[in-house]
Amino acid sequence: MKHVIEGSHAISEAVKLARVDVVSGYPITPQTHIIEAISEYCANGEMKAKFIPVESEHSAMAAVVGAASTGVRTFTATSSHGLALMHEMLHWAAGARLPIVLGEVNRALGPGWNIWMDQSDSLAQRDTGWIQLYCENGQEAMDTTLFAFRLAELVNLPVMVVIDAFFVSHTFEPVAIPEQEHVDDFLPPYEPRIALDPDNPFALFQMAPPNVYMEMRQSIHRAMEHTLDIYHEVENEFDAVFHRRYGMIEEINCENADIILVTTGSATSTARQVQMDMEKQGERFGILKIKTFRPFPGKAICNALQKAKKVAVLDRNFSFGSGGIFAQEVKGALQVLSQGPVVFNYIAGLGGRDITPDIISEVYLKTRDRDLPPCGSEWLGTSPRDEN
Amino acid sequence: MESQAMIKDKPTFQGLTNNVSLYISKSHASSRINKTGSWRFARPVYENKTAPCSASCPAGNYIPKVVMHLSKENIHGAFRALIQENPFPATCGRVCFHTCESACNRGSQDQAVAFRCLERYIGDMAITENFPLDAKSLAAGNAGNIKVAILGAGPAGLSAAFFLTRLGFSCEIFESTDKAGGVMQWGIPSHRLPKSVLDHEIQRIVNMGIKIHYNHSLDAEFMTTAHHSFGAMFISPGLSVPLTMGIEGESHIHQGLQLLMDIQTKDMPLKQGRVAVIGGGNTAIDVARSLKRLGADPVIVYRRRKQDMPAFAQEIVDTEKEGIEIIELKSPVAVQKIDKGFILNLVSMAPVTEKGNDGRTRVMPVDNTPETMIFSEIYSGIGATLHDSWKADADAPESAIKLDHVDFHLKDIPFLYGGDCVNDVQSVTHAIASGKEAAIALSAYVDSGIDSVKKTVDICRLGAGKALSMEIYLQGERRLNSDHVVTDTEINLDYFTSTPRIEPGHIPLKTSVTSFKEVEKTFTREAAMAEALRCYQCGFCNECENCRIFCPEISITRQNGKKMIDLDYCKGCGVCSVECPRNAITMEEEK
Repeated sequence: MKHVIEGSHAISEAVKLARVDVVSGYPITPQTHIIEAISEYCANGEMKAKFIPVESEHSAMAAVVGAASTGVRTFTATSSHGLALMHEMLHWAAGARLPIVLGEVNRALGPGWNIWMDQSDSLAQRDTGWIQLYCENGQEAMDTTLFAFRLAELVNLPVMVVIDAFFVSHTFEPVAIPEQEHVDDFLPPYEPRIALDPDNPFALFQMAPPNVYMEMRQSIHRAMEHTLDIYHEVENEFDAVFHRRYGMIEEINCENADIILVTTGSATSTARQVQMDMEKQGERFGILKIKTFRPFPGKAICNALQKAKKVAVLDRNFSFGSGGIFAQEVKGALQVLSQGPVVFNYIAGLGGRDITPDIISEVYLKTRDRDLPPCGSEWLGTSPRDEN
Repeated sequence: MESQAMIKDKPTFQGLTNNVSLYISKSHASSRINKTGSWRFARPVYENKTAPCSASCPAGNYIPKVVMHLSKENIHGAFRALIQENPFPATCGRVCFHTCESACNRGSQDQAVAFRCLERYIGDMAITENFPLDAKSLAAGNAGNIKVAILGAGPAGLSAAFFLTRLGFSCEIFESTDKAGGVMQWGIPSHRLPKSVLDHEIQRIVNMGIKIHYNHSLDAEFMTTAHHSFGAMFISPGLSVPLTMGIEGESHIHQGLQLLMDIQTKDMPLKQGRVAVIGGGNTAIDVARSLKRLGADPVIVYRRRKQDMPAFAQEIVDTEKEGIEIIELKSPVAVQKIDKGFILNLVSMAPVTEKGNDGRTRVMPVDNTPETMIFSEIYSGIGATLHDSWKADADAPESAIKLDHVDFHLKDIPFLYGGDCVNDVQSVTHAIASGKEAAIALSAYVDSGIDSVKKTVDICRLGAGKALSMEIYLQGERRLNSDHVVTDTEINLDYFTSTPRIEPGHIPLKTSVTSFKEVEKTFTREAAMAEALRCYQCGFCNECENCRIFCPEISITRQNGKKMIDLDYCKGCGVCSVECPRNAITMEEEK
């Protein structure tokens, strides 16, 4: 049955249904609603979890790291500066191979102070060893959260479930909230491979000298590769219970497209409408939605894009001095092709600015009407401002 | 570290997880191989310190320990801790002017802990439930049964008997009246100190095996013969002779002290009309409040300002609450008898800038034209002095050792003078201090000679002040406490939320001013516990376990009920010391 709920609360509901044991939380806009609802579930007994209010995001992650080391299911959520403060502990969670799930609401970093949608915060955590799954809407947020626990526990890697600030987090949409028994069918009780036990004491995560450290890093990478291998199978399990699936990537009319727009998150929904309109007008326009950023499904992306003439990557983020981050990754993936499509990179929607249908159309037309991209990324919709 | 085994976990799951690579550092070798104690440059030491209340208490009450027991509902324990230092808890719990509360660190957060009322609560419980004196823990000395004659059964004499008996002396008290208690008996009205309470506490001391000779004249002859039968004398005659003003018509003025005494011993006729009480000390206050209860309308006339009154501050407040007017800066110069009473001639006084020899603000007449007031009676309450017969004797010769509350004259036997005739503040609590100091001094003299007296007294000091501890003298655990007096900034206020002070309150004014019923009520059990919980217990480990809970190295353990710090692993981070709410852990630099 569908309920009209906020995107944030879709994640909260999923955490409740996942029978999480320990939740830590520190408030930060636009994430607060997630943790707020969970704290209420814990307070009123709907959830049996131990809720740990902490004094900072660093401690929020440290608390679930500690909890997860004892072999229990854990969750926390954050945004922006909070995620940045967590950075050190994100490395720890991944290095310790703990299947923690983190709700991350994409938000810009200051200064200038900005609480709105921007992917810079989560993409800055690219190399921490976390699986990153980007969601388009409330339903996907709900489903991805449930999926994340299963995936994390299978491969012993932490998973970040990422949603757009406000466009998803604060938007009320109809969301199918599954029955507990169905969730239990999909998500069995956690059987930890790492669990501290007072009756059988041992030490974890102690010093790893040069003769073993490199192998441990390689092991994380292997688990990431393993994730790519089993992703489809885990989705089959999910689909069997809930009759929905998203894929690591979603191809929309890519088969017949000359130009493929690469998007992430809620901007994809806008692009879907523009794509339909364009298609009616006879344009050969396709969309590739990337859901899984880490591990990066390069092979799948390559397969989806290889027939296109041009690829336009729309980045809601920017790596200063270089370019859009998804564009860099896509270009890297296409390197294996001897004659791949030309990649255009557009920057739009930073700091909560809307990505309108007009911007998507502009991306499409600018790509169609030129043979080669200009050097570097193109910033859309910016106006000259007074510089002081 | 290289020696630790790295274990590559074999995947144990079937299906999806078959080939998950999971290579982490994990070892069954104990991490205790890493002795983090080697990092330490400072070590925590459990060190109880001196609480400011204890240091300021003339009787040296071990207040944090008393309150700790009380807060854990161990009233027996609280009583034992009290009686160790003070034989009169129920009495002091009523009449003490509680320097402990002025010194209380909690005062800077909200309000001082109401320790006087807690002391009364414990003292009263000991009376109503007849707690035994735990002779085993109290008696410790062996003074070879040396006989001590104690002159005067006031608070100083009784306290001396209490402490000396514990130290193994054999005491006989010689009292000139027919009752023990001294000023507590005849001077303090029963609206402040019910006689049943006092009598019980006196009896508890007598029951230790002390003989009291009543109606015994303490003349020169006694003094010259007594030292043949005794090995030492403790002389606390008290101040029994009222001071005079030397003004015209003074014979018309009644002695306030006599009134207080008469109230104890006779049926007093009701008084009426406006009555003057001259003076500003506790005697004047007690006389005025007693007159109020006898039906009169008393007025206190004082030559200095109200803030200069030597009476205890709370007494002044309570007096005014009862509707007794205090006229300040008026000095009596003459009394004349008229038909319906007396005319009191008063001159107005004003403070002058230079202070007197005693450091108090001086006052001088503004003009010499007296104003007149008419009263039905006039009482004097300006205090008392030593009886002439003691004066020459008590004046300390050069050879005497002057201690804080005792003068120690070594004649053919030791003569120790104590109580009001020695103390600069005349209070029950100071008298107790005299008794304790005399016992310690005499015991030290007997054990190690005259040169050890001052040294021994110094060892027994709490902090650097005048308060002495019998527990320290008896080699109790209190001797291990540091002399450092804990300040308010050393308390971790994160553990103490502001809560208002609880007081037991008074009986209705209507009842209190028409009878000699006790004015102040006592705590209920719940209120006593709640007030006890307000106490920081400065510098006193009350086993709150914070140190153990917070130690990041888990190096604080409990063995046989005692906390131990495992210095192999304590890395000296100081978290225990910071998280100790009450400064009972000191960080000491490693040497």
